[in-house]
Parts: sequence; structure tokens; C-alpha cells
Amino acid sequence: MLEIKNLHASVEDKEILKGIDLKVNAGEVHAIMGPNGSGKSTLAEVIAGQEEFEVGEGNIFLEGEDLEELSPEERAHKGVFLSFQYPVEIPGVSVTNFMKTAINESRKAQGLEDMPANEMLKKIREKSELLEIDRKFLSRSLNEGFSGGEKKRNEIFQMAMLEPKLAILDETDSGLDIDALRIVANGVNKLRSKDNAIIVITHYQRLLDYIVPDFVHVLYNGKIVKSGTKELALELEEKGYDWLKEEAAV
Amino acid sequence: MAYTEEELKKELETKEYEYGFYTDIESDTLPKGLNEEIVIAISKKKEEPEWMTEWRLEAFRAWKEMEEPEWANVTYKKPDFQDISYYSAPNKKPKYNSLDEVDPELLDTFKKLGISVDEQKKLAGVAVDIVMDSVSVATTFKKTLAEKGIIFCSISEAIQEHPELVKKYLGTVVPQKDNFYAALNSAVFSDGSFCYIPKGVRCPMELSTYFRINQAGTGQFERTLVIADEGSYVSYLEGCTAPMRDENQLHAAVVELIALDDAEIKYSTVQNWYPGNDEGKGGVFNFVTKRGLCEKNAKISWTQVETGSAVTWKYPSCILKGDHSIGEFYSIAVTNNFQQADTGTKMIHLGKNTKSTIISKGISAGQSQNSYRGLVQVNSRAENARNFSQCDSLLMGNRCGAHTFPYIEAKNKTAQIEHEATTSKIGEDQIFYCNQRGIDTEKAIALIVNGFSKEVLNKLPMEFAVEAQKLLEISLEGSVG
Amino acid sequence: MDLKEKLVSSFMAFEDGLDLDHPVHEERSRAIKNFETKGFPSKKEEAWKYTSLKSLQKIDFSIFPKQESALEYKDVKKYFLHEIDTYKIVFVDGVYSSYLSETTHDGVDVCLMSSAFSKPMFQQVIEVYFNKAASKEESLTTLNTAFSKEGAYIYIPKNKMPKKPIQILHLATGNEAALMLQPRNLIVAEDNAEVQIIERHQSLTGNEVFTNSVTEIFAGKDAIVDYYKVQNDAPTASLVDNTYISQKNSSVVRVHTFSLGGKLIRNNLNFYQNGERIDSTLKGVTILGDKQHVDHHTLVHHAQPNCESHQDYKGIFGDSSTGVFNGKIIVDKIAQKTDAFQQNNNILLSDKSTINSKPQLEIFADDVKCSHGCTIGQLDEEALFYLRSRGIPKKEAKALMMYAFANNVLESVRIPELKSRINKIIAEKLGVRMGFDL
Repeated sequence: MLEIKNLHASVEDKEILKGIDLKVNAGEVHAIMGPNGSGKSTLAEVIAGQEEFEVGEGNIFLEGEDLEELSPEERAHKGVFLSFQYPVEIPGVSVTNFMKTAINESRKAQGLEDMPANEMLKKIREKSELLEIDRKFLSRSLNEGFSGGEKKRNEIFQMAMLEPKLAILDETDSGLDIDALRIVANGVNKLRSKDNAIIVITHYQRLLDYIVPDFVHVLYNGKIVKSGTKELALELEEKGYDWLKEEAAV
Repeated sequence: MAYTEEELKKELETKEYEYGFYTDIESDTLPKGLNEEIVIAISKKKEEPEWMTEWRLEAFRAWKEMEEPEWANVTYKKPDFQDISYYSAPNKKPKYNSLDEVDPELLDTFKKLGISVDEQKKLAGVAVDIVMDSVSVATTFKKTLAEKGIIFCSISEAIQEHPELVKKYLGTVVPQKDNFYAALNSAVFSDGSFCYIPKGVRCPMELSTYFRINQAGTGQFERTLVIADEGSYVSYLEGCTAPMRDENQLHAAVVELIALDDAEIKYSTVQNWYPGNDEGKGGVFNFVTKRGLCEKNAKISWTQVETGSAVTWKYPSCILKGDHSIGEFYSIAVTNNFQQADTGTKMIHLGKNTKSTIISKGISAGQSQNSYRGLVQVNSRAENARNFSQCDSLLMGNRCGAHTFPYIEAKNKTAQIEHEATTSKIGEDQIFYCNQRGIDTEKAIALIVNGFSKEVLNKLPMEFAVEAQKLLEISLEGSVG
Repeated sequence: MDLKEKLVSSFMAFEDGLDLDHPVHEERSRAIKNFETKGFPSKKEEAWKYTSLKSLQKIDFSIFPKQESALEYKDVKKYFLHEIDTYKIVFVDGVYSSYLSETTHDGVDVCLMSSAFSKPMFQQVIEVYFNKAASKEESLTTLNTAFSKEGAYIYIPKNKMPKKPIQILHLATGNEAALMLQPRNLIVAEDNAEVQIIERHQSLTGNEVFTNSVTEIFAGKDAIVDYYKVQNDAPTASLVDNTYISQKNSSVVRVHTFSLGGKLIRNNLNFYQNGERIDSTLKGVTILGDKQHVDHHTLVHHAQPNCESHQDYKGIFGDSSTGVFNGKIIVDKIAQKTDAFQQNNNILLSDKSTINSKPQLEIFADDVKCSHGCTIGQLDEEALFYLRSRGIPKKEAKALMMYAFANNVLESVRIPELKSRINKIIAEKLGVRMGFDL
């Protein structure tokens, strides 16, 4: 599904990613953990095509296709989804209108007609139930005045609507209380299938109790310094990151 | 590579005027220039009664003594008033009984404009009065309206058929001498729409007029008079387009609204006159006087989407004379390339417990200048007057300007006035967020601009709202697709 | 002879005895020509739409006071902020009073414009700064420039700060039936300097006084200037105050204007930001009664990126008083990341009082945060009820709320004694007993 080879990225001449290698197969869930400033969010945004970052060496392949020349929207059309750590407010644009536009733009890129209104409605109803979202919420302006939990739930709702091949959840657990976390995780789990892949970026092990990863990677100083299975996450929770830092320094 | 904002801006600037075509219909045009003879000739051509000719001459004499105003934030080459033809009517002066009789080429023009004077529109429940180069050529649905006692016709016809109403109300809200352009209009207006809603009647359909300047070197001076009698209601739509022309064309309309006790008038405008090319050449000068008078418990609501014209100067206003009357102004003004818009409203609170709301959204791109200029005045007898104003500006790029000039004058201690203004830009993060969801930059900007304008778009009648959204996209986005 | 003619024809007499080879002579000559062409501003001009100087022009003002007057300190003590030690520059009928003043040349210069104009040691500063910020077009400013001769001269060199705040006091004795004054102040705070200044105009009798004042303030890099204008003059005193402020990188200038008395006051407060990361603050409290008229005209010109401005003007208008607020913010094309904030709140107390507010934004840059808000209204009925339900009588409750409304502008006053003095004046005007501290 996703293959990253020796990826380097920098912003304003400061190198943040210093050679990332990562392979994610369809049907897998990978967790990326690491201390603050290790480059987790940068990795997510580089995969999504944020042009603020200068990609130096290395390549990102989605289903064998090099993403380098593709704009963020083209990557989205190919099935890349990023759940933002800080979802952006767009005043006056309702969640429904935004989703309608996004879905139809993707369909247009694939040479399909607009989704019929009744189908759209049905889908919205279905997915909002999945995430226990009040329908009134959908007519509110996108992320404007949303609580932290509402914003994150809205991100996963959009994921459900867009049905991506590769979903990257950037600190989706931050700002969530336990009930909201359970709802979000439940939603994500229902969206897991053998045909898609999910990358969960998180600081804490807590989320991984609900979204159980197949693999865990530790990102430190722009590099993946350790990979393992879900037990690694528990170990990190217990010991912190310092032992890895020492190990990386050796 | 992805589309940058820079590239988008370039594309915006090269965007051609979509309605820039010219219909080849023989016109009957008066020679250029303006003097008493011309004024009399216009009146004669329209077979007007003597009182009307006198009224025009009075206005003309006042106009001669007046000076053309100077405005702080608008610069343009002043029109040469002797180089304009003040009358241009399509030659085959029509009095149609049905659409079949209308010149097919004219109908074709309307189709290009997307104005269907045909059955579709009828189903949509719209009566249309079209003023093309100044003469009203088609008014439909008169019969349906006549059954309710509603008069909806050209103002020329009203002068012939309903002189008592015209005499009683014409010039009562915008006097002949009100300002330079109002005086000019009063002297030479060639046509326009007239509407009267009788007591207690709710007009069953949206009434609609389309204005269009066709002939080269002509000015368009329409005059609109809407009277809503006690307890009545009407929603009125006005659309404006002009084909592409090199020389600047002048448009100086006057609109007068009269809402008697308990009446309500909703007046919506979508203005898309030719804005000039990307070098700032050509385009329409749009100098319009629009004003409404509210009697007791009456309500007037102005909604406008201004995307066209090289220079726009208009301040739809409400005189809240009656107690408990309400005035509203909702505006979206988009400027691009070298356009200049100076628009806003005046809310004059005279009666007790009067209320006014002003929502203005300005969007500037290219090298355009976009100003909000408004007045909220509470007179000393206007107990408990309330006003809320909000003026938001969105700037796209660094060569345009957004300006806010509100005047607030309160002479009564019970007044409550609130004014807020903000200026912002479209954030890079908003664009990236949309991109990530598969929405390209151009569409993202349209979406964000639409969101920004939402509060005003929501005030437009349904079908107008769709058209207005399309216009916003056209004026800002270039060829989508 | 009307006032304009009188002024223009007096110019030659005024310059008689002044050094005509001094560079300032040329500035004066140019200025009088400009004034002669333009004359006094009229209501036809947009900037003077709401304020008329017509009646003032009919009064036969003396332009040069005939005799020097001596005043005892005890008679005028109350007009000083006497609770603290300060430098004082005092003028009586436009003439410097050495007896009442306390100036210094100890590291900083706190002295007179007349000295600065005549002594060679100041010439360089005069050449660099004098009339460099003030408008050469605005008619009343040029009128003042033409007659510029006396006023306060304050020069704070690099990295210096005077030992104590400085008071500038203009007293009018009433020896003349009607007196026109034109003080000219120059304040320079060089890089990283800091200074606090209090300015006050005070008429001691019921005779007419018309002051047309110009102050230029220059703030160097990282300089901090606090300027307080106390306007609580007699009901026959009128003031046009023109203040021009030019700021360099990272400087902070705060101007507080307390308009509490006088007949007609027009404040033209102009900020020019000629550097980055500048902070400009403009605050005002206006409390008027009778037929008083106060017109605040502010301009903040953001000409460079990354700067801020904060404006907060509160007004309470009783009887037949009139308030005007005209605030303009201009953001130039290159002034990206500007943060400009403007707030104007007003309360009308009587049926005959009037407020005209005209907050304006002119914005040419797209990455900016600019907002203005203006309200006109009454006291919050609910809050009023709350206070009354706690046993505070209606009149006191109202006064208390107005006091609180005006008071939050005082928060940023950095001289505690001045703050409590202004507090006291406000409390008195509103009929609130002190004994509580808001």
C-alpha cells in the first residue's frame, strides 16, 4: 500500500526528516510514536503533500505510484486521508456542504458523476450514526466553535465519508476524554478492512488500547529508531523515551 | 505541481467577461448630447403627458446647476455628458401579447444571459420585466398579477395608465434635486419598472426585472418605483448585465421604494455589469440612487450582490419614518482587476422603536479597491432605536485595498448602536485542509468565499442565490472546470 | 478683522526680533503661506464635518499678551500633580515662568523651545527633528508652526531616563479679555530612552482662551514614551491639540487623553510607525456635560510590517454635550502582519446629547488582523438591577457603573498618583463617593 524510502524533508533549510523507511501493507495498522519534535506530524503532512516542506532525497509510493509530483488534492483523490492534529476552521461552510464538495471532487477526478443527493444523504446518516454525531452538528460551520472532541470526531466522520485507502491519524487522541476516545476508536475500528491501511500517530499508548496496531515504530530526531509489535508501545509507556534516545545516540 | 495562489490570481485577471456579446438589433437612438430639446424629445417619444415633461424639465434645470460630486476613494475619468446618447430603444417597438411575438434574436440574447422568459421561469413563479437599452420590451404574467390587483409594468406604461399613482409617489423618496445623478436620471430616464401592491395583498411570486445595456455609447437611466400599500408584501429581484464594450458606459438608475403601514418590501439585486478588461479599460460606471421609505411597522430589506461594473457607487438606504419600522441591508461586493466599488447604506432612524441591521461583506482581488461607506443616524425623537452593523472584508493578494467608512450619528440617549468590522485573508492552512480532502485550490477559494458571504447569500431568494454563487465564482475564479 | 486676517497680518510683527537667518524662519514663512491659502478649516471639510470653529473665529483674541503675570505657587498648586516629585515646565499666558518651573540639563534636557531655537548646542536636534513629523498641509498645524516660538523641549539621549516624570502646564491668567495661545512642544526619546510626560492646559478665569497646540514626539529604537493629556479646563477654554508621533523599531508610545472639561476640544492624534515591531497605544476617557464638545481624531499609519496598535476610547455624554470620534487606521501594502485594534464605546445620558462616531479602516495589505468596534448605548439594565437588589440606590448604582465603564481605560496609566487623581475627577463628575477602589 504505502512504501517510504529514505525520505528526507526540511523546512527553511532545517532538516526534520532524516531518512525514513516505512512499509505499510493493506489491512495493517501501524502506530508511530515518539517524543515531541521528533518529526511525527511532519511525516504525516509530507505524505499528504503539504508544500511548506521541501522533500529532498527519498520517495513515497502509494500502491507503487510515486507521489512526488502530485498535489495534495490529487493525493487525496488517490485515497490519502489525513486527520489533522489541529483541524482548520472554515466559517460559513457547513460540514455537509464541505463533505459534498470533497466527495464530488474526488468522483470528478475518477471520471464519475456527482453522487446523487439521496445516496449522499443516506451515507451521511449512516456515518454520523457510526460516530454518534448529532445531525444538527452537520449543518454547523466547519470546525468553527467546535470543542476539541467535536473537531476530532468530525475528522473521523470525514474519514468514514471519504473511505480512504490510507488514513493517517495525527494525534487524534489529544484533547479527547475517555468517552470521546472510545467513540472515535470504535469508528476507526469499524473502518478497518483488508483493503485499507491506517497509520496512527500518537504520543501515548492509551489510544492503542482501543486501536490495536500490528506494528509500532518509534520516531526520534527524524529517523525511525525502533520498530516492533504492540508490546513496544507498552514498553515505551513504562520506560519513557530516554532509553531509546541513549540507544540512538550510541 | 499544485496550483499556487499566485497562478490562480493570474488566471482571475485574464478571465474574460462571460456575458460579453452584442446583440444585433436595430435601435432607434437619439443623437448624442443633452439639452432641453433632448429632454422634451425623450418625453415626446414616450408620448408622456405634459406634467411629466414639466417634471423632467424641472429636474434638468436643477441638474444644470449642480456639480458632479467628488469621492474620496473612487478615481475615474468623468463621463462627458454631451457624448452620451440618452435614448436608445429597440426599433421594432414591441407590445407583445405572447412570447412568440418577441424577436427571436432578443429571446436568444436572453437565453445567453440565462434569463428564461419562457415556461420554465413561469413554473418557477417569476414575472419578468426586461429593460434592454432602456425600453421595457416584455412583461409577462401580468394577468395572474392583475387578478390580485397588482400592477407590474414598465414605468412608461404606468405614466399612461396609472398617472394618479405615479404623480403621487414619483420623486417623494428621491427628490429630483437629491443629487447630481438622481437629477440627471429624473430628466432623462427612458424606462424602468413600476409596481404597486394593493392593501393586504401578498404578491404570490417574485417580481423580476433585468436591465441590460446594449448599444454603444449609450447611458442607461432606468427608474423604478415600487409601492407596497398597507399590509402588503412583495419580493422584487433586479438583475443587471451589459455586453463587453471598450468605452465606459454610464448607468445612473433611481429606485424608490415606498412601504406603507405594515407593508414589507424585499429588494434583491444581482449586478454584473461589464467590469472592464484586465487593464482597467472599459466597463460600466454604476452610479445609482436607491432609497426606501418605511411607514409604521413597515419593513424594507435590501440585498445586493455586486460583482460587476468598473465603478460602483451606491448606497441603498432606508428612511425609517414610521414607529416600529425595520430596515435591513445585506451586501456582498466583489472587486477584481481594476474595479472600484464604494457601496454601503444609510439607515435614518426617525420613528420610535425602529430597528436596522447592516451586514456587509467585501471581497477584493487584483488591483481593485473595495469600500464600505455607511451612515447610521438616530434622530432625537427616535426613542429606542436599534442598529447592528457588521462589515467584514476579505483581501486576496497584496495589490488591492479594503476600506471601511462608517458614520454613526446618535442624538437620542436610548439608542443602541453596535458596529463591528474585521479584515482577514484566506489562510494557507484553510487551503491545505481543503486540498487534503480532495478539493483543489480554486474550488477551495470559492468554498471559503461562499462561506464568508453566507449570511448575505442566505437572504437571497432561492434561485437568485444559486445565480449569485455562480457569479461569485465567475468574478473570482476564472474558468472553473 | 477676522481672526485669520489678524493672524496673518501679525506674522511680520511676530518674527520681528527673531533670528531671520535661523533655518526655522523658512519653515515659519512656508507655514504662514499655507495657512493664508487654507485658512481655518470649515465643516465642509470631511475631517471637520462634526466640529465648527466658526464662533471662535468671531472672538477678538489677543495674539501677544501685553504684560507678564506673576502667580503664586499656592494659587495654582492644585493644577499640578503635586503628590509626586516631577520636573515642571510652566507657562503663564504663553510666557515661560521660571519661578514655577523646575527644569534640568542633567543627562537629559528638560527645558524650553525658545532656548532650543536660540542656543547653538540644540541646533542639531532642531534641524533633525523640528517640524519633521508635523503636517505641512494641515492648516492649524501650519498656523502653529508659523508662530512656533515657545513650548516644552524635552530631549532624552540614548539609554537615558529622567529621574522623575515631567509636567507641562499652560496657565492662562485672564489678564487679557480673550487670549490665543500657540505652544509648540518637541519631545525626542532616542534609542532605548524612556520618559513619562503629563500635559495640562488650565484657564484661571472665565475669560475666553483658545489654544492651538502642536506637539511632536519622536521615539527611537526600543524607546518608551508615556504621554498623558489632562483636559479639564474652564468652560470658556477651547483647545485644538495636534500631536504627531513618529516611532522607530520596537518602540512603545502610549498616549492617554482625559477629556473632562473645557468648551471645545479637538484632539488630532497622529501616529506614524516607521519601523517594525512597534507598539502604539491610544486611550481616551471623555466625560462631558453642559454644551461641551470634544472631537477625537486619531490616525494610526502602519507603514512597516509586524506592528501593533491599540485604541480604546470611552465616552459619556450628558446635557447638551457632543462627542465625536473619528479613528482612522491605514495599513500600507508592505505592512504585513499588522495587528490593529480599535474600540469606541459611548453612553448618552440626555436627550440633547449627541455622539458622532466614524471609525475607519483603510487596508492595502492582506495578511493583517484589523478590527474596529463601536457601540452607542445605555447602561446594562440587568447589571443595574443587580446592584440595586444589593441595596445600592439607583443614582449611585448608575454612577458606579459609568465609573466602571470609564475606568478600565485607566488600567494602563503607569503613574499611580495620576491614576488616582483622574479617578477622583471622574468620580466627582459622576457624583460617586470615593471610598471604594475599582
